[in-house]
Amino acid sequence: MSSAPSTIPGGSAAAGKKQRIRAGRERSNWPATIVLIVCTLSVLVPLYVTTSMAFKTTGQAVDGNAFSLPSPLTFDSFVQAWTLTNFPRGFAISVFVSVTAVAGEIIVSALAAYAIVRNWDRRLFRWSFFYLLAAMFIPFPVVALPQIQLTGLAGLDNPLGVAILHIVFALAFNTMLFTAFLRSIPLELEESMRIDGAGTWQVFWKLIFPLLAPMSATVGIFAFIASWNDFMMPSLIISDPELQTIPVLQKIFQTQFSNSYNVAFASYLMAMAPAIVVYLFTQRWVMSGLTQGAVK
Amino acid sequence: MLPPLPSRGTRVSRRTFLAAAGGALAAFGLAGCAPGGTRPTITFHQSKPEAVPYFRDLAAKFTASQDRVRVLHDMATNLSASFVRSSPPDLGCLNYNLEMARFMERGALSDLSDLPAAASIRNDVLDLTNWYPTYPGRTSVIPYSVMAASVIYNRRIFEQNGLAVPTTWDGLIEVCEVLKAAGITPIYGTFRDPWTIAQGLFDYTVGGMVNVREFYKTMHGIGEDVGPDSEVSFQKTMLEPVQRMVQLTSYVNPDASSRGYGDGNTAMAQGQAAMYFQGPWAFGEIEKAGTDVDLGTFPLPMTSNPADLKVRVNIDLSLWVPEAGNAQEGARAFLQYLMQPEIQNSYNAEFLGFGTGKDAPAVTDPRIVEMQKYYDEGRFYMGASQFIPNSIPAANYLQSIIGGADAESTLRRMDADWARLAFRA
Repeated sequence: MSSAPSTIPGGSAAAGKKQRIRAGRERSNWPATIVLIVCTLSVLVPLYVTTSMAFKTTGQAVDGNAFSLPSPLTFDSFVQAWTLTNFPRGFAISVFVSVTAVAGEIIVSALAAYAIVRNWDRRLFRWSFFYLLAAMFIPFPVVALPQIQLTGLAGLDNPLGVAILHIVFALAFNTMLFTAFLRSIPLELEESMRIDGAGTWQVFWKLIFPLLAPMSATVGIFAFIASWNDFMMPSLIISDPELQTIPVLQKIFQTQFSNSYNVAFASYLMAMAPAIVVYLFTQRWVMSGLTQGAVK
Repeated sequence: MLPPLPSRGTRVSRRTFLAAAGGALAAFGLAGCAPGGTRPTITFHQSKPEAVPYFRDLAAKFTASQDRVRVLHDMATNLSASFVRSSPPDLGCLNYNLEMARFMERGALSDLSDLPAAASIRNDVLDLTNWYPTYPGRTSVIPYSVMAASVIYNRRIFEQNGLAVPTTWDGLIEVCEVLKAAGITPIYGTFRDPWTIAQGLFDYTVGGMVNVREFYKTMHGIGEDVGPDSEVSFQKTMLEPVQRMVQLTSYVNPDASSRGYGDGNTAMAQGQAAMYFQGPWAFGEIEKAGTDVDLGTFPLPMTSNPADLKVRVNIDLSLWVPEAGNAQEGARAFLQYLMQPEIQNSYNAEFLGFGTGKDAPAVTDPRIVEMQKYYDEGRFYMGASQFIPNSIPAANYLQSIIGGADAESTLRRMDADWARLAFRA
């Protein structure tokens, strides 16, 4: 049976199965669609509430109807959130931490992975890989107190220190991703370049690092999300309140005793904006990046 | 020689760009921490959200009024982390509680007894800090604002049903019965948030019957031997108040177990219930709804004697100067500035606090004015839930009691937890 008939029933059992698969492409898969719609709603509904809350007056925000449309529409919450958190400064600090963390994580982990993979036959490098992997079992909260003291002593109780800690704590996972990817790059490519006279440094920057780009995108996305949204590390490490990141500054909107939903959500929206913008521009790589580590 | 490799391409220039961008941002960030002049900066830690603009304003005014120090308002630094790093804020203005007392107990806070401000505080208010562990020979903490809490009630609903504020336990039950018969929710419960049970129902019922200070003093003395046969214990001393607390939960809204603090404030603003077991911090939230609800407060009567009525208090804001601070002079100057009667009194008037000074004016806000009498006469207690270390999940235990768990065995568990903690210490 080479072409799919217009009617589905008939034929042998095997042929019937084949037809069903083909026909399935044209028909909607309702159960899956419904599941996906529910999943979509679980993102869109909170997003809707966030957006509408941000434009509500305080009175409307606490009237118990989260889903009502704002009327009158007001931008006061944005103004309040802007001044209360000193938004531009906090935003700049957050951007600094994220950019440093993303760049640092990609470069440092790529270098480490390259060194380890190409020297796999040497015991020192092999064991250093396992040593790095072991760090995956140590989450930040476990070593928070010593880290606070150490960064304080080293003069790193500032955004730079937070960025460095991000790089260090993500090193284990990122190196693992990069080594897995590097193993798939044939050594012959590198050898041909060496025959042309390239040194190790050149091979890395001109050949390996560009070839690592898809994995770098994955690592970069993870690094951005983790550092942009992080609350605990900056709140503990940064000692100067004027150099605090946005998520930490935003905690004043919600305490045990008080909620300012409208101001909080206005502030969250402003803080979410860059993540959404970054996603819009990089979604191609995000998509490919998600499957990068999953499928061999 | 082999031909050289092609010169650097666009990829390198992107890297350069990233580096430049990072550098520029770093410079921008560092520029932010450059001091506004040569004078030293003192960090003023205050994190009560609704009062942030108020204190920020005061800090700016003080900075402008003299040229020795600059005050930096800090609401974001993690306090414990800053002490660990030995760079605590120079002046703290925080809620005083068991967590804060740990710093005091270990001598991390400097002695302020030589300041005139310390002498102006009411003795029984200053004594409140001694309910917690103290550091001998020091006045480490100056209470700035006291919050008095008791049952919040809807005056209009009481009037419409011909009810007067109850002064005895039987009177309270009668009020609840009348309201229930009239189809009105007597008490609004927000049991989804465990802390509302601990600070409301539990503290009010216990405080009305038990001498909280004596209880914990004895409990600390007994330590690891707390149990069914000890002189005091949760299972013995607290059982009756907790049983009454459970009795009161039969008058709450049917959906109380799924309602949180925010829902309670909305419901009270809309007049959905007659009574609400919350402190004055809820007024600010209720006010946000913008309704014209008329609320008052009365101490929860737990005995048959009106003379036993007391209100729950806590030191909402207290001032302290850490030992490790390197700008103690400036910090003390700003402390004195904040303690000036006109500044302290206007803070308390605006944020529904009670003054701590010997000649602080009486509160005038109609919502809390009924508590002034008790405050003046020293008829107050601090919430019993506030003296249980965080490692004992008391609020969750209480939530399970309200959810149907056996009160006696749950309290026995609290005793066991207490004894275990004491054994470890």
